[in-house]
Amino acid sequence: MIKATELLYYLVHPQELRQIIQWKTWHNPVHERDESKESATLKRCFFFLDMTSRSFSAVIKELHPELLVPVCLFYLVLRGLDTVEDDMTIPLEKKEPILRNFQDILEQDGWTFTENGPNEKDRQLLIEFNVVIEEFKKIKPAYQDIIKDITKRMGNGMADYCKNAEHNINGVNTIKDYELYCHYVAGLVGEGCTRLFVEGNLANPALLKRPELMESMGQLLQQVNIIRDVKEDWDDGRAFWPREIWSKHVDNFEDLFKPEYKQQALNCSSEMIVTALERADDCLYYLAGLKEQSVFNFCAIPQSMAIATLNTCFQNHNLFKKVVKITKGEACELMTESTQNLRMVCDIFRRYSRKIHHKNNPHDPSFLRISVACGKIEQFIESIFPSQPQPRTTEEKKLTAAEEARIKESAEEAKREMMFLMLAVGLTLFLITIVMFIVAWAAGARFDIAWVQLKSQLGSFFGSSSSTADVTKHVEL
Amino acid sequence: MGRPTILVTGGTGFLGSEIVKALVETNDYKVIALDINPPSLGTKTYPHVTYIRANILQPSELTKMFQETKPTIIVHSAGLVPAGNARYNCTKEERERVLEVNVSGTRNVVEAAKEVGVRGLVYTSSFTVVTDDLEEDFRNVNESAPTGRAGLVYGQSKTAAEELVLSSNTPSFHTVALRPSVIFGPADPTCIPVLHSCIPFTTPFIIGTGTNLADFIYVSNCADAHVLAVRNLLTAGTAAGEAFFISNGEPVAFRDFCVAVWKEFGHVPPVQVRIPKSLAWGLGAVAEWVSWVVGGTTTLSRGSVKDATAVRYVSMQKARRVLGYQPRVGLSEGVKITCEHFKRRYGSRPMASSGEFGC
Repeated sequence: MIKATELLYYLVHPQELRQIIQWKTWHNPVHERDESKESATLKRCFFFLDMTSRSFSAVIKELHPELLVPVCLFYLVLRGLDTVEDDMTIPLEKKEPILRNFQDILEQDGWTFTENGPNEKDRQLLIEFNVVIEEFKKIKPAYQDIIKDITKRMGNGMADYCKNAEHNINGVNTIKDYELYCHYVAGLVGEGCTRLFVEGNLANPALLKRPELMESMGQLLQQVNIIRDVKEDWDDGRAFWPREIWSKHVDNFEDLFKPEYKQQALNCSSEMIVTALERADDCLYYLAGLKEQSVFNFCAIPQSMAIATLNTCFQNHNLFKKVVKITKGEACELMTESTQNLRMVCDIFRRYSRKIHHKNNPHDPSFLRISVACGKIEQFIESIFPSQPQPRTTEEKKLTAAEEARIKESAEEAKREMMFLMLAVGLTLFLITIVMFIVAWAAGARFDIAWVQLKSQLGSFFGSSSSTADVTKHVEL
Repeated sequence: MGRPTILVTGGTGFLGSEIVKALVETNDYKVIALDINPPSLGTKTYPHVTYIRANILQPSELTKMFQETKPTIIVHSAGLVPAGNARYNCTKEERERVLEVNVSGTRNVVEAAKEVGVRGLVYTSSFTVVTDDLEEDFRNVNESAPTGRAGLVYGQSKTAAEELVLSSNTPSFHTVALRPSVIFGPADPTCIPVLHSCIPFTTPFIIGTGTNLADFIYVSNCADAHVLAVRNLLTAGTAAGEAFFISNGEPVAFRDFCVAVWKEFGHVPPVQVRIPKSLAWGLGAVAEWVSWVVGGTTTLSRGSVKDATAVRYVSMQKARRVLGYQPRVGLSEGVKITCEHFKRRYGSRPMASSGEFGC
């Protein structure tokens, strides 16, 4: 149901409406899932996918048939894990063994979990988790091993994080802790997905040799979420922004949300944003290693959304008042562009990095760092898609002693000529001006009046009212 | 002791002294600093470094010094950089001086080195051998780009000298040329002082788009690259006969670098006025004309407008691959350290206009 306010919005933003219509009409999925061949439990899994994820379900469902089910189950497994971790109503002693042994749970037929608090939005998934386990057993063992390995490491990481009492009281302390947290909840997902892609022969195996690239893919997405959700998380009593960053700007985390600390809050958000933005070139590098279109789309769409979200959050104080979002039109435009090729995605990254650079404020302590991060994106894109050929090769000039002298000679000559030329131009202009003045004067021009008026206009322009009044009086007389 | 001896020409200069420091810190070499000037007051000297005074324009002096000290490798970093207005319009004498020091001086060093049987030479060239062509933009340019199109005397002199060095490469005498981008750091004689002199009257004007990327290198990173080149010549020798672009690998909008430096001096331009490139070029021409008529120098000139609006950054993939070069000091950190040093030098006098229109 379209709301009246939305209708009004699109009336004044026809461009965005156009983007939405374009996406809806022209987007053809690379692959479509074939529901007729799916078992009842698999259908239920896809139902849960739609229920638990808004942003990922669409891209997952268009994946190559080889990976469609494994990735869907991978997502649901991690979502299940996350639902246990997130729930503050489960006591730690109950939570910890579940998190640490979740990979074994995947082998227990009929395992379900009903002890989530009533407000946990995805609790139904765990109540019927047996359907996920049933489908999990059917996928290739190689895929099962990858998913179990990631689940194990993520579960243990989450358990460590929950157990660390300091996090519960003070939030995340150092930037290292922050990146470690993002590693467990997102960097590992990047690794898992990459291993699935390579196992399915849909990505370049070399990606596994550059682990920092897949790490950055996850880090960028997670960090953007943490930046964007700062207000919502704080209202829920959580803070993921590391103390090492915010303490440079404010004494207490809650000060960030007070209007009197607006500038400090913006500076703090800049530092968070640049920390994420510095990962952008790695992400483009990663995308260059993907072979198959549906896998490319699956990875590229969230990255494009992330960089656009960074731009929306940058220098935007609303970040501390509500959840800021990119508009639906912008999102559709990004999806249309991200489902083409690497070049289009590079264009998106460059476009948003320039928008960020344009808003960069010299008073911001992170000013130069932001500028460097934007420059790195430009350089990386230039390195894979040169905008100009390497400078043309001409016959090389070799300076022998004689030629050195000749160059010196001719440069001197050119300089003298230039000076004479400029002198001549200057003199000519000067003479013409004089002649024009004489002609105008002879024809009766009153330069004295023109001068006074000019002065009065200049005076009023600069706001010196008293002298203006005097001058106008004279002129009127 | 079997430690190789490394002789650094220009060893008490801005870059040379940093190279000496980096070599000393490896503990792998015996270091000799050769310079026309003794270490200046207040700069750090090292007890185990031999400081000798010689003029690279005197071949006999050089040969004698080389024979006495028997260096294994020579790092030739002595050179003359025409700064400020002299970069674009130098007098005949200035021009000849630059060519003499940079080209003839290099020839003397190469010949003396060969004569006494030095094993290799690392030459401090400059990225201007490619980028001093003011008519063109250089985006992520690599070593395959042709040299020899420099329009300014500095680039021309460095091109000739680099050519001379690289063509002297033989199996018994290995040579390598490093082409740093704009070097800055504490005690830097050109980059930071020129930017500092823009405060306060020139800072509000943004010439052109203000987004053109420029490339810089912090002095200690540049010195690191020299040490790596020395090591390469002594071991694998894969760099012999090659030229390498080196930079901080952090191309940044030229305007932003200026603003960041000014900010360290407590000055943020209170207003920003955009001036189209063509208008600025015209003003530059007028300023040059006026200063030519009146006598005196001008910071605004057609050349400086082109320098400020040019896109110029290099790819350092080759240096990374062959030399294993990796900048250790980031750009932001480098700017901070450098400006701290200059603040002490200039004293803490407040800048004339800082905060006048402040918010």
